[in-house]
Amino acid sequence: MSEPILRVDRLRVAYHHPRGAVRAVDEVSFSLRPHERFGLAGESGSGKSTMALAILRMIKPPGRIEGGEVWLEDTRLSGIDDAAIRRLRLAGIAMVPQGSMNSLNPVVRIREQIADALSDHGLHPGRRDLAARITALLGQVGLPPEVALKYPHELSGGMKQRACIAIAICLRPKVIIADEPTSALDVVVQRQVMETLGRVQADLGAAIILVGHDMGLMAQFVDRLGIMYAGRLVEVAPIDEIITAPHHPYTRLLIDSLPSLEHRGGLRGIPGLAPLLRDLPSGCAFHPRCPLVTERCRTEKPAVREIGPDATVACHLA
Amino acid sequence: MTALLELKDVSKTFAGGKVALENLSLAIDAEQPRFIAVVGESGSGKTTLARLLLGMIEPTQGEVRYGGDDLSRLSGVRRRAFRREVQAVFQDPYEVYNPFYRVDHVLRTPVRKFRLATSQAAGQDLIETALRSVGLRPEEILGRYPHQLSGGQRQRIMVARALLLRPRLIVADEPVSMVDASLRATILGSLRRMHEEMRISILYITHDLATAYQVADSIIVLYRAGVVEAGAVEQVVRAPRHPYTQLLIGSIPRVSTERNWVGEQRQPDRSVTASGCRFVSRCPAMTERCVGEAPSLYRVSADHAVACFLQQESAEMPNHELSEVLTQPA
Repeated sequence: MSEPILRVDRLRVAYHHPRGAVRAVDEVSFSLRPHERFGLAGESGSGKSTMALAILRMIKPPGRIEGGEVWLEDTRLSGIDDAAIRRLRLAGIAMVPQGSMNSLNPVVRIREQIADALSDHGLHPGRRDLAARITALLGQVGLPPEVALKYPHELSGGMKQRACIAIAICLRPKVIIADEPTSALDVVVQRQVMETLGRVQADLGAAIILVGHDMGLMAQFVDRLGIMYAGRLVEVAPIDEIITAPHHPYTRLLIDSLPSLEHRGGLRGIPGLAPLLRDLPSGCAFHPRCPLVTERCRTEKPAVREIGPDATVACHLA
Repeated sequence: MTALLELKDVSKTFAGGKVALENLSLAIDAEQPRFIAVVGESGSGKTTLARLLLGMIEPTQGEVRYGGDDLSRLSGVRRRAFRREVQAVFQDPYEVYNPFYRVDHVLRTPVRKFRLATSQAAGQDLIETALRSVGLRPEEILGRYPHQLSGGQRQRIMVARALLLRPRLIVADEPVSMVDASLRATILGSLRRMHEEMRISILYITHDLATAYQVADSIIVLYRAGVVEAGAVEQVVRAPRHPYTQLLIGSIPRVSTERNWVGEQRQPDRSVTASGCRFVSRCPAMTERCVGEAPSLYRVSADHAVACFLQQESAEMPNHELSEVLTQPA
């Protein structure tokens, strides 16, 4: 098995609040292999977006990385200075943000936004070189060259998201983190954008972390899936295994909450509400909502255990 | 059939010439409550349809009628009745609240304005009953400010508010697109229960075909301001006939080990002009005829109509008969 490209080891992130610290990411460990597509799924507030930001060391106060490590190949991200991490963002690990509408600068043409990204990393190609490079990048994400001269408001949602992907790949990163990249798009456009993302990932030979809550999207796109609940990674397994035989009851409920197109009458939610992170239930944080809860679940927090060559779960019953 | 609310040959063109809705007729029956979904991508005209039905905008052509009267010319008394009988639930459960008021405000105001209760205590009872019927515990909700509640709770309060007024129609415009998948079922389940138990018609406007299939009885698929397919959900979702509906259904990612996510095979051809079928620039089955001529609706079965020349063997159906394919008993 090849060496992981990215390794997250017992990462902890907390937000400080007058009523006490809120643990948003709690001892999360996983590794990402080269070329792998890894999914991180969970409800809102499960800590999946915080994870994505923490990997890039982009947590802002009152949030703080409290412990744990992130390694990109041989580089320990917590061990390098601010200038080095700034160079590493985009060039080593790039982010495709949620809601492209709000992440592009509305008063700057796409061309300048790509040029900015390059010059911020010390690249100042000549005019002709730059134009060729931008045309090539736009081509890679399926956009025509004239998009370079457009402002964001002149583009459709799908085109804006592609422009964000073009910026993310301009320095050929080894890891792409895509945080709900298609949550604001229609299904037809969503599929096109995901296809583009998959293609550029393959072109670059990069690995990808897809953050989201749509289990259908995960099933169709990722190789391996991690499920987050209340800041913990409660199950990780290859995608085929996790959707056919999930071990954590929460994973099962997440899969079942997706409405079927095959038969009617099966619209199910997950009972109860996601817990408040500053007031987590005792034992397993999922126990108040769990259909299989036992006495032990109420008192003892389940540890993450290996249950297969590539699978872990944090549940007393699995 | 007497119609509670009816669109008659309605078109809406916005300033600048954008056609948001073209020649749509739709009647909501006064006697037989229906659960109808309107599905389409952004820009298909589905929110325009909601706003027309709620009297928030007026049509450029055609008429919106409430109990037979032109909606824009209702008398004071009739307008009041309309405001009570037709309720709305909107997409954003954050923007509809005034952050300075406790959530009680959005529930007490209709009770007072419509004199739904004869005493304070009776009003309180009414509010608590409405909250319980959408699965909320009044003691956890009343007295709170909007920011203290989750998006799902806030959206359920909006459903409870609509319910207070004992409406005959609820127009719900993307009511669950901003809440988590796990909560969608609860909110849509309350709408379904209100439809069945209280005989309220629901117009569920959404981009999500899968939830529409789960809760609605019939469905209208809109594409660029017009109806492309309509009928009973089983027909439209399980046996779609229009290439756009087929594309829409194929684009939904499924939870399956089979990687069967198919999508658009043909790159949209932007050069084709719009005198013909509205889908022609993207249609894998387009012919010469589709470029020059717009297909009318064809009635392929009692409860299924499709606007596509591929169905020309079937009888043509005038636009104003659309409601007929939506009201066939299942």
